[in-house]
Amino acid sequence: MNSQPSTLWTHLSSETNHTGTWRSALPLYQNQPSPCHGACPVGGSIATWIKQVKDGDHYEAWLTLVDNNPFPAIAGRICHHPCETACNRAEHDETVGICSLERFVGDLALREGWSFPSPDVELSQSVAVIGGGPAGLSAAYQLRRQGLQVTLFEAREALGGLMRYGIPSYRLSPDILDGEVARITAMGIDLRLNAEVMDEKALTALHKDFDAVFLATGASLPKELPGLDYSQSFVLDSAAFLADEPEAQSSQTGEHILVIGGGSAALDVARTARRLGRKVTVLTLESEGHLPAQQVELDEASEEGIEFITGAMMQSAVGKDGSVTVHATKVDFQIGNAPGGFTAAPVAGSEFTIEVNTIIPAIGQDADLARWNGILNTSGPVINISGAHGKTSQPGIFAGGDVASMSRFVTQAIGMGKEAALGIVATLVDDADVVAPSQEPEVLLDRINTAYHVNHGRNTQGLAEVASRLETFDEVQQPLAPAQAQSEAERCFSCGTCTLCDNCFYYCPDVAIIKLEDGYEIKTDYCKGCGLCVAECPTGSIHMQEDIAS
Amino acid sequence: MNAPIRNENLQLLNGNHAVAWGVRLASPDVAPLYPITPQTPILEKLIDFKSADLLGTEILTPESEHSAMAAAVAASATGARVFSATSSQGLLLMHELLHYAAGSRLPIVLFNVNRTPAAPWGFWPDQIDSLSQRDTGWVQLYSETPQESLDTVIQAFRIAEASELPVMVNHDAFYVSHAVEPVSVPDQGAVELYLPKVDRSMWLDTDIGRAIGAPIGQDGWNRTRREMDAAMQTIVGLTKDAGKAWGEMSGRPYAPLELYRCDDAEVVFVTMGSMAGTAREAVDRLRESGVAAGLVKVRLFRPMPMADLHAALADIPCALVLDRNYSPGVGGVLHQELMAGFYGAENAPRIFGFLTGVGGTNVPVEMLEKLAVDYRQAKQNNNPIWVE
Repeated sequence: MNSQPSTLWTHLSSETNHTGTWRSALPLYQNQPSPCHGACPVGGSIATWIKQVKDGDHYEAWLTLVDNNPFPAIAGRICHHPCETACNRAEHDETVGICSLERFVGDLALREGWSFPSPDVELSQSVAVIGGGPAGLSAAYQLRRQGLQVTLFEAREALGGLMRYGIPSYRLSPDILDGEVARITAMGIDLRLNAEVMDEKALTALHKDFDAVFLATGASLPKELPGLDYSQSFVLDSAAFLADEPEAQSSQTGEHILVIGGGSAALDVARTARRLGRKVTVLTLESEGHLPAQQVELDEASEEGIEFITGAMMQSAVGKDGSVTVHATKVDFQIGNAPGGFTAAPVAGSEFTIEVNTIIPAIGQDADLARWNGILNTSGPVINISGAHGKTSQPGIFAGGDVASMSRFVTQAIGMGKEAALGIVATLVDDADVVAPSQEPEVLLDRINTAYHVNHGRNTQGLAEVASRLETFDEVQQPLAPAQAQSEAERCFSCGTCTLCDNCFYYCPDVAIIKLEDGYEIKTDYCKGCGLCVAECPTGSIHMQEDIAS
Repeated sequence: MNAPIRNENLQLLNGNHAVAWGVRLASPDVAPLYPITPQTPILEKLIDFKSADLLGTEILTPESEHSAMAAAVAASATGARVFSATSSQGLLLMHELLHYAAGSRLPIVLFNVNRTPAAPWGFWPDQIDSLSQRDTGWVQLYSETPQESLDTVIQAFRIAEASELPVMVNHDAFYVSHAVEPVSVPDQGAVELYLPKVDRSMWLDTDIGRAIGAPIGQDGWNRTRREMDAAMQTIVGLTKDAGKAWGEMSGRPYAPLELYRCDDAEVVFVTMGSMAGTAREAVDRLRESGVAAGLVKVRLFRPMPMADLHAALADIPCALVLDRNYSPGVGGVLHQELMAGFYGAENAPRIFGFLTGVGGTNVPVEMLEKLAVDYRQAKQNNNPIWVE
């Protein structure tokens, strides 16, 4: 052993070398939006609430969810989930089951009886919300959260709109709907049921009495199929059929039902009819693979014994003695260039007939705009709105949901209700704190170090047995068990949302990362710009940028 | 070699497993290891010991030899006893950290299995991998047999910890690493007495708050090399002490040089590693045929025990250096070391340098006999000679 400490053993520090001056690029630590967030119709902070689920903070996760959407239990059941389509994990193994996780949290909130907090302040500004469906309820909720006074006008006897009268209970149990709606009305909303705002005159009066109006009357008029006589008793309106009780549904329909249409509503009709014990055939103009309904709905419908005739068009229907002969032809279905556009030319010589007892066309609904003639521009298929916040041509009147959009998704309507509410708050309340959405680019897969994410297939929800499904209107999709939900939450890459894993801190060769309570800071005096922190980040929350300043 | 075997705990071990036994007995705190042919059996055997709870060492398996040596540096700087092992490409990948370890005065023991470096790709015994690391500040020892490898790896810890310099022990690929012989395994308690834990003169400790190797000025850097030089000056003595004490404990003494039948020799072979076994056989046969031959086996290559070499070759007229390595543009490395060491010396022997067995080619006893006969009275020739 050396008796004298070596020259080597010093009180000096590498801090004397300001290695940051060598740098040409600097890592930027910044949370950025995930693709799921960008795709989400309500702008949900998905990576954030899934991390809270992962951490076991379920109540916090629910609070994050309801920032943007008061219906997580509903959306977790019926959302068309573009978030999952956008999920970066798809290229790794399978997308994260965001919807099933949302349902898990939403159901837990209902079981636990979690309620929305009262607004911090009560404001005097008043808003009339016309329509108690997903858009109207979402707007009413967001307005109440900000302390505005809300009066909600609903034409029917109960709230929910399409969620109550259009979606069968095997997809969305009425208990869930009632629970999530009751939580909103408990916030103190002046509720007017059976109160239809009939016409332009009534709207004008509300426009005068309230500081703002949000119009969300949906799309209530069925599109009509050429060549079908709607006055015949064997033709039923799909919306009316879905809104009816099972007894009425049974009494109006014959043994074999032909449903015309390939969207979610058509499948809701078809699957409801199967539960009444009927033989069901679905005729769609779209060819196989192009039906607008979700794949899971198509799969479940096939399992339930529904027959599909795709790429075909009804030409006429002749009824006689309780049976109907449907004349149809195959078509050459081609997707067009414009979104939603297509051509469907009949194929000569492919004509065929089917014998049925009842026809239920479900080819879409139009908004009833004529009644607003004189106060709003009603020339288009929907009310024309400008910007993200649902402003109509009439100052003080905002619109959202199916009356102002052709997209026809429940969560799209919820998102529009939220955005309109934020627009109303920004208009009516001085110093309103309305946060603009992030303009940062989304974090794509190339930013994720997938070595940190072990391959693990998706935890799927169970389905009720087919035989038992057809005997009741009970929900088909079964919730994730807690352990499954935990495992699913752990699959999330957390794209662009830092999970405080400390990889950057430990891997930095220059000890240039400082840990803060809720993130990290980069010591620019020492960071050489090597990019190890970026390479080792499992969430893409740090990225390199050119640094010519140094 | 051919030391008397006093300890009766004999096991049939190959060279690499003998090394692993030596490591087990030396009981390092940490061993960062990355596998490479032909070193892998060392790692495998250590993991066998570890999984059977026979070894307390923390074994790390990082993603490369560079990282293995980086981990060894960090662990050793805290005061831990640290072992690692590698070969050829792995040693070359460690190169940067070899300087770092020596510059930080860390008593790491590294076992290297001598193997041809690429290209072309090969797995053959050749010592150029470690000889090309001679300027990194590591003490270098070369072993001839599995028994010597076991014994030397333990002595290496003693030398390293006494000098605060890292020590590299080498043996030849396959000829030693995979050759099996009866090996006497010493008693654990005896090794613990031989190799007690030694306090360092410096180590990293947050309570002390001093750094090892922080940026330093020119004068300070210069001083660290003078200190290293002073430490290197102690190595020959420490190697002798370690070898002598080992002999007292095990009955197998060692020295920096091993001299075989050198008394009154007219010609001696000078070599390192497994070549010494062949040379020893050649010496016996030459003696039988009336040629007074001898062998000088160099165990300690860096620092070169030059005073001992001068003494050993004082009255010997001819030295034949056998190099199983080739430094392009120069020749055999051991040859060059001897030429430099004897330059200007009075009564220096004529020194010939032979490139024998480069790349692991076979070197038969007869080849060496012929060299002795052909060159014992030849005129001095400084150029390296390729031997077929």
